[in-house]
Amino acid sequence: MGNKQTIFTDEQLDAYQDCTFFTRKEILRLHGRYHELAPHLVPMDYTDEPDVKLPLALIVNMPELKENPFRNRIVESFSEDGLGNLSFNDFVDMFSVLSEMAPRELKAIYAFKIYDFNVDNYICKEDLEKTLNKLTREELTAEEVNLVCEKAIEEADLDGDNKLSFADFENMISRAPDFLSTFHIRI
Amino acid sequence: MAEQEQSDVHFQRLMSDDGSSCGLMAGSADYLQTESSEQLLRCQTEHEPGGHSQPLGGDRERRGEWVSGEYLPARDWDPNLPLRALPVPMQEKRNTRERRQQQRRSFGCWESWRRSQQIVRRRLGEQVARALWGLQPWRSTLHAIEGKFGVGVKVYFTFLRYLVYINLVHCVFVGGLALMPTLLFGGNTTQGFGHFRGNDSVLDFLLGTGFLERSPVFYGFYAPVPQSSPCLNSPLLFLLGVLSLLVLSCVMVVRRTVIGYKHKWMLGNRYNLHMSYRVFCGWDFCIQDPDSAALKHSFIRNDLRLDLEEERFHLRVSQRTFQQWALLYFLRCNLNFIVLILLAGSFYLVYYASKCSQEEQAHKSPDWMLSLLLQYLPPITITAVNFVLPHLFRRISSFEDYSLTVQVNVTLVRSIFLKLACLGIFLFFLYGQVKHKCWETQFGKEMYKLVMFDFLACGLNALLVAWPRKVLLEKYPSCPLVRVSGKQQFLVPFNVLDLVYNQTVTWVGVFYCPLLPFISVLKLLLVFYIKKFVLFRCCEPAQRMFRGSQSSVLFHFMLLLGLLMAVVALSVNLRMAPSAGCGPFQGRDSVFNVTAVCVDTLPRPGPSIIRYLRSEAFALPLILAEIILLTSYVSQGRANRRAIESLKDMLVMCSADKRFLVKKHSTLLRRHARALKTSVSAGTETDGRPIAMKDPSGFQPVVMRSVSEPCGTACQRLSDR
Repeated sequence: MGNKQTIFTDEQLDAYQDCTFFTRKEILRLHGRYHELAPHLVPMDYTDEPDVKLPLALIVNMPELKENPFRNRIVESFSEDGLGNLSFNDFVDMFSVLSEMAPRELKAIYAFKIYDFNVDNYICKEDLEKTLNKLTREELTAEEVNLVCEKAIEEADLDGDNKLSFADFENMISRAPDFLSTFHIRI
Repeated sequence: MAEQEQSDVHFQRLMSDDGSSCGLMAGSADYLQTESSEQLLRCQTEHEPGGHSQPLGGDRERRGEWVSGEYLPARDWDPNLPLRALPVPMQEKRNTRERRQQQRRSFGCWESWRRSQQIVRRRLGEQVARALWGLQPWRSTLHAIEGKFGVGVKVYFTFLRYLVYINLVHCVFVGGLALMPTLLFGGNTTQGFGHFRGNDSVLDFLLGTGFLERSPVFYGFYAPVPQSSPCLNSPLLFLLGVLSLLVLSCVMVVRRTVIGYKHKWMLGNRYNLHMSYRVFCGWDFCIQDPDSAALKHSFIRNDLRLDLEEERFHLRVSQRTFQQWALLYFLRCNLNFIVLILLAGSFYLVYYASKCSQEEQAHKSPDWMLSLLLQYLPPITITAVNFVLPHLFRRISSFEDYSLTVQVNVTLVRSIFLKLACLGIFLFFLYGQVKHKCWETQFGKEMYKLVMFDFLACGLNALLVAWPRKVLLEKYPSCPLVRVSGKQQFLVPFNVLDLVYNQTVTWVGVFYCPLLPFISVLKLLLVFYIKKFVLFRCCEPAQRMFRGSQSSVLFHFMLLLGLLMAVVALSVNLRMAPSAGCGPFQGRDSVFNVTAVCVDTLPRPGPSIIRYLRSEAFALPLILAEIILLTSYVSQGRANRRAIESLKDMLVMCSADKRFLVKKHSTLLRRHARALKTSVSAGTETDGRPIAMKDPSGFQPVVMRSVSEPCGTACQRLSDR
């Protein structure tokens, strides 16, 4: 390539390129974005793989995530401790899954994790109510919320247990024509 | 298999032991439910702590994964799946990558070279795909439109872009097969082109006379090239160009229609998944602007309210009394009668306008302005009728008490019928006038005038209707006119109808005005920017969302109708004898004379084979074969639908079985615990050896495996059948 970047070794960049949907340039740009979130915490030299994690509050203020009603859940789903502290690996992972080139199956797995608020591997009625309230900024009446949640579960629940398992969710999402075009973030 | 049967038997024995104690537990069903789900959860969290799943070490690729209590089989991580599609954290992906690289090193020379070639090819393919995708025009504009006005409006602009692609393909065909041979080898016949003569004026561009008449725009330019072989001559290429153009557009439009329709229709009514789509796919994750976000929130809210309203509407419909139905049908009959009268009136207007225009062309009046107006009278009438009537239809359908989507569809159907029928009447009138020296060029001129006026109307609409209305709304909001017309909205269905109409005219006219696709491309490009201006400067986002993905199927279907009409019109036209003085087919009895001449000069088996293919002896078996094929597909589809239903029932039963067995298991555990407690409190043990409590988590895999296996093998048996 000829550019003398010292942030990553070539081996690391190759690994990132294979493991994500980004090119080398985009990964360097992502590092720049990660760095500017907390310039005093994030080193410019990642060749020795430092263990730096940024807290949820910093990540959630990024312009790409700021207006998203699910921003907290998104960051929590990609963090290793489940509390929203992202290392650079997790950061890249998050934007890779949410990029336009990620396949539908991969996005469905993470979408399920995002909408599962109580992390019990089922999307139950309470999860749906929280999703709906976040979507409509709590401006629907309680009765309307109840009706919508019941209808949604009735439509998608295949095994009759009144909550959505991953199989139900994936089955429903695989038929949604807009899922791929809405579930992506451009960075 | 034997092991599974053993575990099944094991369970049978357990259940028979506890059969008597079932009644005791009946009262505490809720307790059992929560306890069993807690145990499931505990078991799962041992495998999967927190957010992102932690690897438990070892060969993750060969093991499966616990997700929501189901065992995902190891095929999800098959070695051919690219690394980036694995749903595991980054570090795990890098470990997998190293492992794969080590495996690769243990391959021989040939294998490693083959794999590296695969990787290079894949990377190249990805780069090409990315480049092509980035080349798509207007991507950022469409994205902005979607963010600000919703998916429904974006569908219109996507449809416009699709029509631009179709017309570009047509340009290639026309340019390569019709224009190039005549320009390059035409020689003497193309002399008149390109020079302005005495009588030419600017009006020629509007009327298609003079300069334009001598140019390649119209049929008359394409004289047959001298010194050509019987099979490779310009008339045959011309015919071939136009016919293949129509066949290709037929294939493209049918393909787009069917793809959209399959999603909707194949799955039947049970898969009406509107609510779930709205909840899970409603939010566009790309939104960064707070205003757009607020707008999107209100869109989603209104959408959901609309859905709930439709549910209530269906409920109301099911509760209508006989009297109400009778009244409603009476009202609908009357309104349809009114619609028919309006349609008949507009057809008569078009016919009358065409007659006036023909008289004008026969005896030209001296005043050039009046002459221009009268010659343009048919396009003016058609456009005026199509401007006013659809809005009337919209108002009428609001009285007919249909649900909202049905209302939109009914209005659309009436409007498309109006548009295509007006065009049909105009064409019908033109066919009756085949007496001119070069009637094909006349016909081409009429089509050219239609396209030109449609473009002018679009521009004038933006300038004289949309913009003043917006200015009026801003400056005098309390004016009664403003209050009646309301806020300006971008009505997607009517704008799409205009596009369909334009494309139909292009298809009808391409044989007689071969450069019409070029003109259409230019026109569509300009229309894009004009409509974008109207949208961004003059329109408000609609509070009621237009169901975009459902209706794009309808739009493509309307395009198909237009194409059908064009094919019918062209086949009627081709039956008429070509004129003697102009065009590539001059002097022949019929257009298909050129193909007959070519076929006769083919080597010996050729003509007889082609004659056989055109006869009934071939057509009948072909139709029979198609019927058999169709029947087999339909019956296969029906069988698949029945299999889907039975698999769905099986899924419900499996899940109920699972819950029942887990309940049983927790009953067992509690009995063990109670037995332990009583024996400990009693201070003795029954037979002197410590009671070995089996590890609760150890039970689970046995339960899960033997429950999922019967379902799994049963499903496999069903699909094998």
